[in-house]
Amino acid sequence: MRAQARHVLPLMTIGLLTLLSVGALWQPLDPHAVDLQAPLESPSVEHWLGTDHLGRDVASRLLAGAQPSLLAIGIVLVASLGIGLSVGILIAFAPSAVSNVLRWLAETALALPTLIVALLLSALFGAGLIAISAALIVSTWAPYALAIAGLLERLRSEPYWTASLALGSSSWGAVRRHGVPNAWPMIGALAGADAGRAVILVASLGFLGLSPDTGRPEWGAMIHEYRLFLFSDLLLVLAPVCATALVALALNLALDRG
Amino acid sequence: MRFVAMTLVSWLAAVAVCFVLIRLVPGDPVEVFADHMSLRLSPELVAAYRAQWGLDQSLLTQFWYWLQGFVTLDWGLSFATGAPVFGELIDRLGWSLAIGVGGMSLALLVGAGLGFLAAAKAGGLADQLSRVMAIGGQALPAFAVGLIALWLLAAQLQWIAPFGGGTVERLILPVGLVAFFSIGSISRLVRAGFAETVSAPHFKTALSKGLPYRTALWKHGRRRASIALLAGLAPDIAWIVGGTAVAEIIFGVPGLSERVIDAVVARDYPVLQTYVALVALWIIVGLRICAALRAWLEPRPPALGLRP
Repeated sequence: MRAQARHVLPLMTIGLLTLLSVGALWQPLDPHAVDLQAPLESPSVEHWLGTDHLGRDVASRLLAGAQPSLLAIGIVLVASLGIGLSVGILIAFAPSAVSNVLRWLAETALALPTLIVALLLSALFGAGLIAISAALIVSTWAPYALAIAGLLERLRSEPYWTASLALGSSSWGAVRRHGVPNAWPMIGALAGADAGRAVILVASLGFLGLSPDTGRPEWGAMIHEYRLFLFSDLLLVLAPVCATALVALALNLALDRG
Repeated sequence: MRFVAMTLVSWLAAVAVCFVLIRLVPGDPVEVFADHMSLRLSPELVAAYRAQWGLDQSLLTQFWYWLQGFVTLDWGLSFATGAPVFGELIDRLGWSLAIGVGGMSLALLVGAGLGFLAAAKAGGLADQLSRVMAIGGQALPAFAVGLIALWLLAAQLQWIAPFGGGTVERLILPVGLVAFFSIGSISRLVRAGFAETVSAPHFKTALSKGLPYRTALWKHGRRRASIALLAGLAPDIAWIVGGTAVAEIIFGVPGLSERVIDAVVARDYPVLQTYVALVALWIIVGLRICAALRAWLEPRPPALGLRP
């Protein structure tokens, strides 16, 4: 049962992300089409998840609203993985003056409140994906760097590492040959958590009224807008809330092999 | 003495970075202010404003004046409202502090208890619960949980009246929400700390002396568990700040966050600068206290030059 779940979860997550990528580009109905004749309708064949207070199709808005989250996931994974891996290798192999500074930087970055950094950057550069991505990168590269550095330092004392160096491989070659394969499970778990965090941060900022682009639907902004109907029309709030939670949870579980 | 000095240096560094960052960004605060007020300022007026806000002086002088002001509780004037920042923020600070400190204390209390129970019986109910809460704390959005809690407790069960009532009633939900997201990770840290003790030889000795399992685990494990907890608390100290902000907005508590969000939209730099200084103070003092407690619990000299 557990073993099966491990194979099914990643597939389900990939399926969910594919669905969202398609949905970000194509929606069954125009997500912006206002129909004041049909506000707050219940789910039907035409409106899968009903309509909101302005008569807009909730399902279509939900699909279109996935776009900022997906972009943030992509940016964060590529950038923080790249920075984290490079800094981690540097911490492990650079002279101690450099590596101590880098390690101190990484440990400081761990204690930065992501949401507050994002708020500050939004104030400086204007609310948008740039501010969100920068805030995420600032606060997510450090765990990779520290984990990779720790792993490499442990591996360096392994006999096969020494053997590999004795056989004429360079340090970089040993990192590629032995370090990278050993690092994958750990990177996977961290990346899953980060991707989930990216989705949550985008939605949190949207919820606080700082969405990337106020014209486009976005999950957090939808929750911010629909929360007024929390007590009268729960489904309206529940749809974007569940979408955010589901994606974040799926990303966390799928990549966590711990 | 060294402790205070290190704390001060870290705080000054954090605040200075933010100070410089704000001034490096394109967009003059006076122009932002004029835009915000829909004013068309003549060059003389712009110069007058710049002089009044001290923007015509060197960066170092500006920072010095700001620092003097911050310490003497003169936190400058808000760009957006023109009112003193101190007066605008001080009442709100109380609410935010109550939520932050209350949430942190609750999370530590419940998390430590849960972690101990989880370690006492691996795979038991407490262990499962702590694992689920750790995953939930990482993967669920705080505002989503807050909204659902609001719907469930206020609309369905009608246990509480949201957005009203006395001070304590208004604090229950935000404090609970902030704590909820830290309990999982704290309990995992504590569990891991106690688990180290379970495999230690002196624990087997304690059991063979005839001590009950839980008593032995508590007596012999609490120091190591505390050290493990203090070592891994940094992300939670940081989380409390963001969590407090989200909780205040959801439950309509008039704390700092409301004002800060407005300040973000209006680029109200004096308010933001003060907020960052306060947040940095909270985090750095929190981390320093953790480090000091750890050093006190583990009187082992720090490894010099040798890295683990």
